[in-house]
Amino acid sequence: MYVRLFAASWLLLCACLAVLAWGFQAPFAYDPVGPRAYPLLLLSLMAAASLWLLYKPDLLAQRFNPKAALRALLCVLTLLAYALLFEVLGFVIATALGAFALGLLFTGRLLPCAISGLLMGVLLYSLFDLLLDVPLPLGLFEAFVES
Amino acid sequence: METLNFLMQGFDVATRPTNLLVALFGAFVGTIVGMLPGLGPINGVALLLPLAFALGLPPETALILLAAVYLGCEYGGRISAILLNVPGCAASVMTSLDGNPLARQGKAGIALSLSAMSSFVGSMIATCGVILFAPLLAKWAVAFGPAEYFVMMIFAIACLGGMVGDKPVKTLMAALIGLGLATVGVDSTTGVYRFTFGSVSLSDGIQFIIVVIGFFSVSEVLLMLEKTHSGQQAVKAGGRLLFNFKEFCFTFWTMVRSGLAGFVIGTLPGAGATIASAMTYMSEKRMAGAGGKFGEGDLRGLAAPEAANNASACGSLIPMLTLGVPGSGTTAVMIGALTLYNITPGPLLFEQQPDVVWGLIASLLIGNVILLAMNIPLVGLFSKMLSVPNWVLVPAITAISMVGVYAVHSTTFDLVLMIGLGVFGYILRKLDFPLSAIILGFVLGELMEDNLRRALSISAGELSILWSSPISLCLWGLTALMLGMPALRKWRARRGAQPANA
Repeated sequence: MYVRLFAASWLLLCACLAVLAWGFQAPFAYDPVGPRAYPLLLLSLMAAASLWLLYKPDLLAQRFNPKAALRALLCVLTLLAYALLFEVLGFVIATALGAFALGLLFTGRLLPCAISGLLMGVLLYSLFDLLLDVPLPLGLFEAFVES
Repeated sequence: METLNFLMQGFDVATRPTNLLVALFGAFVGTIVGMLPGLGPINGVALLLPLAFALGLPPETALILLAAVYLGCEYGGRISAILLNVPGCAASVMTSLDGNPLARQGKAGIALSLSAMSSFVGSMIATCGVILFAPLLAKWAVAFGPAEYFVMMIFAIACLGGMVGDKPVKTLMAALIGLGLATVGVDSTTGVYRFTFGSVSLSDGIQFIIVVIGFFSVSEVLLMLEKTHSGQQAVKAGGRLLFNFKEFCFTFWTMVRSGLAGFVIGTLPGAGATIASAMTYMSEKRMAGAGGKFGEGDLRGLAAPEAANNASACGSLIPMLTLGVPGSGTTAVMIGALTLYNITPGPLLFEQQPDVVWGLIASLLIGNVILLAMNIPLVGLFSKMLSVPNWVLVPAITAISMVGVYAVHSTTFDLVLMIGLGVFGYILRKLDFPLSAIILGFVLGELMEDNLRRALSISAGELSILWSSPISLCLWGLTALMLGMPALRKWRARRGAQPANA
C-alpha cells in the first residue's frame, strides 16, 4: 500500500520535473546531446520503474504505528530547530539544547541529558573549532569575543 | 618487479609518522563505529570525511584514514554480533549465526580472537590480490573510451540490481534517484541551470557530503528512534581469551577459501561484503555436510563470513582504483572523497598519483596488522563501549554530522537540506529501498552524463558508438545477464523447491 502511494507520488513528481526539464535549453548548441536529454531520460526511466511498482508493489511487513510516527516527527522538528538555530545561537548553545532535546527523545533522564548536552556543546566546540580549525559559529557569544 | 618497487614506494608513504598515526586513529574509530549496532562502514566514512577535509589532510593521508575506517568497521561488526547477537553492520549478520552460540557456551574469548584472525587472513589475501591484479587491470583499462565507460557504469548499476537480489526494481529505482540528484546544479558543458529552483545554494549542485550525511546519519538517527535497545545482555568475554593452534588449523583452510571467494565477489561492482559473507557461509556449510554444527557454534561458520567480508572490502578497492567505478557504497563515498581533492580515480591514477595508490595499498597491509594487534588485547575495552546509551550516542552523532555539513559552505541552507534528505532517506528505507544504490548512483551520475555526452560528441550524435567496440559489446552482454539474474533465480528457486526438500 505505502509502496503504491510512494510510487504514485513519485510518478507525479517525475511529471512535474519533466515539464521543468523541458525548458532546459542551451542558448547555443555545444554538443549534440544538450542539457535536456539526459535528465529526461532519467525521468522517463524513473517513471517506468514507478509504474512497475504501482502495478506490482512488494509486500511490506511493517504496519503504520501512530506513536512511532509522532516520535519521528518530533525528532525531525528537533533536528530542524537545531539546524535553524545553529548560526543564530551559535554552536555551543544550539548543540547543548539540541543534544538535550534529542537525549530526552531517546528516553534519557532529565538531568543526565542536560549535563551531557552541555558537555557536548563545550567539548565538541573546543575539539573542532579550537583544536581542528573547523570554523563554527559563535552566535550569542560573539559579543564577548569582539569586545 | 616493477610492482615491488612501487610497493616499496607505497610503504615509504604509509610509514610516514602522520600516516601511521592516521591509520591507527582510523582503525580505532572504525572498530567502534562498526561495532555500534546500526552504524556501518558508510556512516564511519561519512563522519570522518568532513573531518579529513577540514583538517586539510593531503589526499593520500585522507584516503588512508578512510580505508582504515573501512577495514576497522569490518573488524568491529563482529564484536557486537558475537557478544550481543546484534550485528554491528549488515556484513556481519552471518557472523552472529555461529558467533553468538559460541559466546553463550562460554567461548566468547575464543570466538573473538579467532574471528579477528580470520578477518586478518581474509584481508591479507585480498590485499595481495589487489597488489597483483590492480596494476594489470589499470593497464588494460587505459583502452577505455568514454563510450566504454558509460557502458561500464550501466553495468555497475545493473550488477547492483542483479546481485542485491529480492528487489531489483527498487534497487534500480534507488540508483536512478541517485543519478537524478546528481543532475541538480549548473550543467558543466552548457552552463544551463538545472533543477535549482532559483536557489543560489543549489546552483553548485548538491554537495556530496550533504547527501551522504543526510541519507546515512540523519536517517539512521530516525531509525534508531524505533529500536530502543532490546534488553539483550552482552555476554561477558570470559574464559580462555585466545584460540589454540588446533582450532587455528581446523579453520585455516576455511579462511583461505572464504578469503579468496570474498575477494572475487568484492571486485564485482555492486556486490559487496554482505553478499560475500552470506555466500561463503552457505558454501562452507554445504562442504562440512552433516559433520558440522553450523548454527550452534561451529568455528568454521565463524571464520568463513569474517574472512569473506574483510576480503571483499579490500577487493572492492580494485574497481574503485582502476576503473573509478565503485564496487560498494563505501567505496562510492571514497570516490566522492577523492573528487573533493580534484583527483579522478581511474586507470591514469596509477601513473599520475602513484603515491596515493601505493600508499593506500601499503597502508592496507599496515592497517591490518594494527587492527589485529589492537583487536585481540583490546576486546574488553571495545565491548564496554557497547554499553554507551543511545541518549548520549545519538546527540553526539547529530552534532558531528552538523559540524561536518557546516564545514563545507557554512550556510544554514545546507543543514536544512541535509535534514530534508535525511527524512527522504528515512522514508525510502521504510519502504525497503537500498540506500547504498542511491549513493552509487549519485557518485556515478556526473561521470555517466559526461561520458555519454563526450561519446556522442565524438560520434557527432550517432548512437551506435555506444555498442561499436568489442569491450562495450561484452559489457552490454554482461549487463543483460545481470538484469536477467533475478528472473533466472526466481525460476530456479521455483523449480528447485521440490528436490531440495526431498
